[in-house]
Amino acid sequence: MDDIISASLQALNLLFSGDSQVWRIISVSFLVSLKAILIATLPAIALAFVLAYYTFPGRRLVITLFNTALAIPAVVVGLTLYLLLSRSGPFGGLHLLFTQDAMVLGQIVLCFPLLVAMSHASLQSSDQRAWETAITLGAAPFYAAITVLKEVRFGLMAAVIAAFGRIIAEVGSSMMVGGNILNHTRNIPTAIALETSRGSFVQGIALGMVLLTMALLLNFLLTAIQGKGEVIH
Amino acid sequence: MDNWSVRFNNISIKRGSRIVLDGIDMQLSNADLVLMTGQNGSGKSTLLKIISGLLKPEQAQISLLPHNGQLAEYNWSRMRRILRQKVCYLHQQPYLFQGSVFDNVAYGLKRKGLSREQIKQQVCRMLEEFSLQDLINRDCRELSGGEKQRVAIVRSWITQPDMILLDEPFSNMDKESRRKCYTLISHLCRDNIALILTSHDPLSGELDFTQHIHLYQGKITHKTPDTKSKKFSE
Repeated sequence: MDDIISASLQALNLLFSGDSQVWRIISVSFLVSLKAILIATLPAIALAFVLAYYTFPGRRLVITLFNTALAIPAVVVGLTLYLLLSRSGPFGGLHLLFTQDAMVLGQIVLCFPLLVAMSHASLQSSDQRAWETAITLGAAPFYAAITVLKEVRFGLMAAVIAAFGRIIAEVGSSMMVGGNILNHTRNIPTAIALETSRGSFVQGIALGMVLLTMALLLNFLLTAIQGKGEVIH
Repeated sequence: MDNWSVRFNNISIKRGSRIVLDGIDMQLSNADLVLMTGQNGSGKSTLLKIISGLLKPEQAQISLLPHNGQLAEYNWSRMRRILRQKVCYLHQQPYLFQGSVFDNVAYGLKRKGLSREQIKQQVCRMLEEFSLQDLINRDCRELSGGEKQRVAIVRSWITQPDMILLDEPFSNMDKESRRKCYTLISHLCRDNIALILTSHDPLSGELDFTQHIHLYQGKITHKTPDTKSKKFSE
């Protein structure tokens, strides 16, 4: 127990002393995950809207595929991307393997189905009258869609927060396509895995604290957002 | 507002194997006030959604006769665009967007590209005209059923449609709210707007209807007066 307390104190010291290596790892983590979420959000919400408001052949199949994709382990995504991006793979010529761009790609693949599924569920449960009212008040279909998205904005924000929470903590894909290279592709989860395997717990605990703090903040944010969406009785 | 007529012929639609509307014919002109009655499930709301261009019928011929123009028939996708510009549909329980009464009433005007100042002036004038000015900054979720209905009617009216369709506007409304709504509807009629109201009750004596249509199991079983093709002398 004393060891854990002592390691935790050292970890706090490491964080507050501004250790460049630790903060570089944290910045890589946030940079990669923010890029991934920014790229994935708009197309995912647009797709979710199409799935919720339009009928076309194969629509149910697409919904099923996205719901299934939620359960794909990060390490399988990493393995697939590794095979595609490795020198002998079909996209080897792009030289993306072991770069931050490859990590972004992996995280997009991971968060996209979650964003689509959660946004779709939110739009599906939204009131159809919002769309009809916007149309009947003279809004073009694009503006009517924007109106509906505004009406369900709290559900969409929850989807984005949940997706961000998933990708910032994933280790499988980042490890395989990023390669865990110090100051380049080493992020919080891959660094924790490495330091723990080395038996050096201080940095691992420090980074774990960052992840936990972030998870706590995201949940506070989510609760605050959901609170704003409450119905006044 | 110009004089115009729109004629709907043979409107039919099915849901699965159930026929919801079967060969409905009707004609509307500006300033018409139509009462549409029928039991639940008789097809009133479906017919209103087709007339407003929100629902595609399986079969229908729709023709427009502008006051100085030629009789015009278009395919559904063109006609739908025209209907959506001309007709405003209000649900039985009107949907108000999240935000204030001002945001809601201003919605249609924003789509028309008016300046912020013009929108503010028009919204204030309109709310004042119908004694709703006290509600201007009120969150729509805090309004009573009657207030919601009146705000929704004003929100439709401010976009200057040629026709407003009110789906069971008086259901769940107390006497006072009904009276206020009747006043509002009488105003709309004076403004040359065509109105269709659906109701379970005949609403006798409350408003001066120009047509009464009764639907039963998707068919018109009663129509007064029989105005078929009166204004469409082809």
